[in-house]
Amino acid sequence: MSALRTPFFWGLLVLLGGVGLLPILNGSDSMREDIFLVLMLVILASSINIIMGYTGYVSFGHIVFFGLGGYVAFYLMLNHQVHFVPAAVVGGIVSSLIAFLLGIPVLRLRGAYFALATIGINEVVRSFVTNFDPFGGATGMFFNYEVYNGYGGSKNALWYAYYAILVVALLCAVSSLLIKKSRFGLGLLAIREDQDAAQVLGIDPARSKVLVYTISAFFPGLAGAIFFFKNGIIEPGPAFDLLRSIEALVMVMLGGYGTVAGPIVGAAVYEQLRAFLITNSTFSSFHLFVAGFLLLLIVLFVTAGLVGWLRQRAPRLRRYLE
Amino acid sequence: MRLLPSRLLLLGISLATLFGAIACAQPSAQPAPTPTVAPKVATSKADTPAARTPAASAPTARKIVIGFTASNTGAQNLPSKKQTEGLQLWLDTVTKAGGIKLKDGTALMPEMKSYDDESKTDRVQALYTKLINEDKVDFLISPYSSGLARAAAVVSEQNGKIMITTGAADDSTMEQGFKNIYQLYAPGSRYLVGAIDLLKDLDPSARKIALIYEKEPFSTSVVQAAQPYARSKGYDVVLFEGYDPGTTDFAPFINKINATAPDAIMGGGHFPDGTTLAKQLYEKKVSVRLVALLVAPPEPTFSEIGDAAEYIVGPSQWEPGVTYSPDAAKAANLPWYGISVKDFVSGYQARFNSTPSYHSAGGYAAGLILQKAIEDSDSTEPAKVKATLDRLNLMTFYGNVQFSIEAKTHGKQVAHDMVYIQWQKDSANKLGTKIVWPPAAKSAGAQLRK
Repeated sequence: MSALRTPFFWGLLVLLGGVGLLPILNGSDSMREDIFLVLMLVILASSINIIMGYTGYVSFGHIVFFGLGGYVAFYLMLNHQVHFVPAAVVGGIVSSLIAFLLGIPVLRLRGAYFALATIGINEVVRSFVTNFDPFGGATGMFFNYEVYNGYGGSKNALWYAYYAILVVALLCAVSSLLIKKSRFGLGLLAIREDQDAAQVLGIDPARSKVLVYTISAFFPGLAGAIFFFKNGIIEPGPAFDLLRSIEALVMVMLGGYGTVAGPIVGAAVYEQLRAFLITNSTFSSFHLFVAGFLLLLIVLFVTAGLVGWLRQRAPRLRRYLE
Repeated sequence: MRLLPSRLLLLGISLATLFGAIACAQPSAQPAPTPTVAPKVATSKADTPAARTPAASAPTARKIVIGFTASNTGAQNLPSKKQTEGLQLWLDTVTKAGGIKLKDGTALMPEMKSYDDESKTDRVQALYTKLINEDKVDFLISPYSSGLARAAAVVSEQNGKIMITTGAADDSTMEQGFKNIYQLYAPGSRYLVGAIDLLKDLDPSARKIALIYEKEPFSTSVVQAAQPYARSKGYDVVLFEGYDPGTTDFAPFINKINATAPDAIMGGGHFPDGTTLAKQLYEKKVSVRLVALLVAPPEPTFSEIGDAAEYIVGPSQWEPGVTYSPDAAKAANLPWYGISVKDFVSGYQARFNSTPSYHSAGGYAAGLILQKAIEDSDSTEPAKVKATLDRLNLMTFYGNVQFSIEAKTHGKQVAHDMVYIQWQKDSANKLGTKIVWPPAAKSAGAQLRK
């Protein structure tokens, strides 16, 4: 728990909490929507970083947990009138449970095989949900608009969703820090560098990897639940959108692979860049090209990402920038 | 002594990052909107409350902003582009005519604000929130496709904004209890009903239908309604099979179709898959008498698949050959409003150098209905415009328009009829579309595949 006494921890709280409070303080709906998206992407990117950045396992299909959490929570809210907060928690737990069960066989794979397996899992789950009638099949599920009356009207419901995503983003970032600074986290980093050597040192790679995969699935599950509650609709396509997963990987690479701040910075920069490009009359048709080109530049020249680059260039910053 | 600089450094970094993040938030909070047209009528004076009062002595011009998102990228790009073009043509027409006139002489000059939603629901919700809160649009038009329109409808309803949905036929969207959303398209549940009736009329000996559809909300809801209807008409639905969005290889499905030997194939989904399916059915020489596919056939570019397009039937919300006119309105005891079919088609061809599709007509009609509601309300006040939309029942170049006022289905389209087109070759062996159903609207008889 020494991580909670570091300057970085307080800096993280001030930064993320401060930005998160901005729409609440000025009451701007538009800013709330923008920052909601950023926070949601922070959660997705940080979760992927927990498995990818710390253990070196690239989870291409991590979005599956976002969709699963969303579906489970939506089903509970729609069919059993469960309040969205407990429904979201159940969504997160179910995502974790499924990650645990899947992780046992899948995490035996290494490198590209694991990455491909995660894509396969996402596609299998998407196909299953598309044909699963209790989840609405291909047409998905949607709320009657009056559902929001239980939350003081739809406008209030949007704010509740925002508070929830802010809390989850903070929890996710703090968990990422705690994992990284813990003995367990050091074990993961050892696995990332050389799994066989880590095993010789007494680390149980299978157990550690399954545990971290389980943790990394919890937060996207919560985010999915909150996002689809706010949306009022859930459909297989947007719930298991592989492109969103790949974008989250880009955010991790952009911000800094294996750092706590990297995915946060990466998500904020990527989303703002995207928002700028798609609303700019000159670049609106090229935004995917620009995003792809940016990724290429990072992979070629700034492999450590923005935060990693800063840490390399200014060693004094390492204490403040995890 | 070392502590102080460290803390200062920490504070500095925290503040710099915080300000950086806020600054980063700015571009999306104030992006460069893409007004498609910027009429030179809106003056700051005209925008003042005084200028809006009926007491103003001289006729004044005032702008009204209509916001929407378009799928400039992503899966819905083509029909979305057509829809936007239709809306653009309406705006040009109104601007040229001097705006929407109120009784006090005020001319309301419409202006559009739109953004690219990337065909993604999360973008749609963020952008519609921005259109409402930052761009302060007066009215909204939906994005193209049922899924995106539904996402936009949630935001629109939350903010009490009136939104005309076009390009969105899904029934369930209009069964969510919305009060400010008005659907222009005939609902999806009616899309294949006419095709089944056409088959009955054309080939009374036909018994077996294969329904093959894209597994996404719109097409699934269409076939879910078509299946019981087909059975009620005595057909045996021998295949009810969905395929994933993005499917490009239909060979396994075609093998299944061949195994069941149906008389007709119906279904499809959107433009890319519908076009590919039609092409592969032709290439594999599937022997059926009628093929009716959603969305793709009414698009003029469907002809690019050549002979594979021949005989394909498609439900359409509107076609250039429809016979809606002031006389038809009079005969139906309905008021007529707006541009004629001929003027719309020629205006569109002159402006965009292409033939309008039903998506284009839907875009124009969305603006036109809004215009009519504002004129009849003599106001842009949402409550008054909403009341007018609730009682609207008229005919335009697009056909009949009336909205449900039942609480459960409020805003759902109840009057608009679909037509069915078929790609046929003329005497010069050139492919073209003919309206083949319903009998009252048809321009040619339907043909069975040989």
